[in-house]
Amino acid sequence: MVTIVVPSVWTADRRSYFTVQEGPLFEVLRRFVAQRPECRGRVFGADGEPLMFVNVSVDDRMVPRRERAGTVVPAGSTVILISPIAGG
Amino acid sequence: MDEMVLIAGGSFLQGSPPWMLRWLDESDQPLPPEWFGDETPQVTRHLAPYRIDRHPVTVADFAAFVHATGYVTDAEKRGFGMLYQRGWTEREGVTWRTPAGPGSGLAGLDDHPVVNVSWDDATAYARWAGKRLPTEPEWEYAARGAGFRIWPWGDEWCPTRANTAEYHGGTMTTLAQWQAWWAAVGDVRGAMPLTTPVGAFSPAGDSAFGCADMAGNVYEWTATTSALYAETARYDPAIRPAMGHYRVIRGGSWMSFRYQVRCCERMHGDPLGWSNFSLGFRCARDA
Repeated sequence: MVTIVVPSVWTADRRSYFTVQEGPLFEVLRRFVAQRPECRGRVFGADGEPLMFVNVSVDDRMVPRRERAGTVVPAGSTVILISPIAGG
Repeated sequence: MDEMVLIAGGSFLQGSPPWMLRWLDESDQPLPPEWFGDETPQVTRHLAPYRIDRHPVTVADFAAFVHATGYVTDAEKRGFGMLYQRGWTEREGVTWRTPAGPGSGLAGLDDHPVVNVSWDDATAYARWAGKRLPTEPEWEYAARGAGFRIWPWGDEWCPTRANTAEYHGGTMTTLAQWQAWWAAVGDVRGAMPLTTPVGAFSPAGDSAFGCADMAGNVYEWTATTSALYAETARYDPAIRPAMGHYRVIRGGSWMSFRYQVRCCERMHGDPLGWSNFSLGFRCARDA
C-alpha cells in the first residue's frame, strides 16, 4: 500500500493521510480521488488528466513533471501532493 | 513608487509565540492549529541595517522595467498563468499584462501592485532596479518591528486597514462564507484581481517602520528558501516537500482572511516559473 498525504484543508474532515494500492503514479492518484471525490478537482483537470502544476513528492523526492507519467510508486512509499502555493 | 524605508537592523524573535497557536485555535476561524505550525517555534534573528520598499512594486514600475529591458515573464513564455476558481487553475493568456486572461488589461491599474510574476521575474526586476528581494527575516521585521505584533498596526483587527477578503466581503469565519463571497465576486468581476492602489490604507495600515500593504493586497515573494524554524514544529504534513524547494511568501493578499495576513504568517511558493493573479513582491537592498 501507498500513503497519500494532502493538505488538511482539501478534505471536509481535515484529514491528511490516506492509503491506496501501489502502482503507476497516475493510477495511484486516480485511486486516491476515487476514495475522496472532493479532491478530484485539486488533482485532475476537467479533461481527466493530472494537473501538472500540483507538485508530487515520492519518498521526499520531488518528481519532475516530465517524469511523472513514467513513475511507479512501490508499496510502502509516501506520496505528498503540494500546490504551487502552499500553507497559509 | 521608488520610496524605500531605512531600517536600522537589530535582533528579534521571528515567528509566533506558543500563545498565538492557542489563540488561533480558539478563534472563530476554520483552519486547524497545525496549519499555522510552520510559523513556530520562534527563532532569534540578527539583521544588519537595510532598506526595504515602502510599497509593493507597481504595474507602472514593472512596465518601466519591461520597456527598458524587453524582459518577457515566465507566464508570457509559457502562455499561461494561474487563477483561483474552485482551486488554483492554469488559464491560457493570464500574464502581468492580462491579469484575468485575454481581454483583461491594465487600464487604471498603474499604481496597483503588479501580479503574475514568478520568483525569477521578481528577482530580475530587483536586479535591474539595483535591489534584491528581501529575506524572510527582513520582511517580517519590517512588518512588525522588534516587538511582537499580530498585524502591522497592532493587535486589534480592523478590516479597513488592509486589502483582504474581509475588507471586500465583510467578516468571514468559515470557508463556506469565503466560497460564497468568492462566487459572488466572480459573478461581478470575473477573474480580475481585487488589488488596490499601493498605500491606499496608509497611514492607518502601515507598520511601525512605515511600510505599507504588508497585510493583504498581494502575497509577496521573499528571497528565502522555505525551511522549518525547527524540526520540532507541528505543522501540516503536506508542506514538507516545500522545505528546501519553495520560496517563502509573506503578507497574505486580497483573497485572505484576517488570520492569513498576520505578520508571522508564512506561505510557500514554487519558484520554478509559477505565478498567479494575487502574487507580487517588493524589494530591499543593503543600507
